[in-house]
Amino acid sequence: MGAVVLAISVDSPYTHKVWQEGELSKMVDGGLPYPMLSDPGGTIGQLYDVYDREAGVDLRGRFLIDPDGNIQAIEVLAPAIGRNIAEMIRQLKACAHVRGTGEATPAGWEPGKQTLKPEAGLAGKVCEIWAPEMAF
Amino acid sequence: MSARVGKPAPDFETTAYMDGEIKKVKLSDFRGKWVMLYFYPGDFTFV
Repeated sequence: MGAVVLAISVDSPYTHKVWQEGELSKMVDGGLPYPMLSDPGGTIGQLYDVYDREAGVDLRGRFLIDPDGNIQAIEVLAPAIGRNIAEMIRQLKACAHVRGTGEATPAGWEPGKQTLKPEAGLAGKVCEIWAPEMAF
Repeated sequence: MSARVGKPAPDFETTAYMDGEIKKVKLSDFRGKWVMLYFYPGDFTFV
């Protein structure tokens, strides 16, 4: 997909280094393969509205940014809730498909499934080419 | 400037730990590519 992954927390680059070397490299061969960014004081988290002032940390926010630098998808989870990586990758594929074709991807779309071509003639006729079962 | 779908992602510059080194990184350096920007509460927790 050629996408860049950037992880970011309020921790310093030195803390990232210790975590990478001490723990992550034991979970993932060679450690995490993407940059770990530092957000001292949560200033970047505040820009993205995910900084929790009371806890002094960034919430589990995820932003999918297109090649023009525009945000296409946002998800924010409470700290104790883990993310769904497969769903993030699916959203990235859907965003790339929409950008490349101008088509729309209905609920539950995966590559190869029916897409919708936004045009006046489709209004009121989505039911002819798409059914709710196709979302699963 | 806040983060909204369909709007430009707020740009920032900061330090990053990558490839065993500490480097300067700017979000706009990645223009032309899809970027997944993940915030997480802290190191030594689960991502």
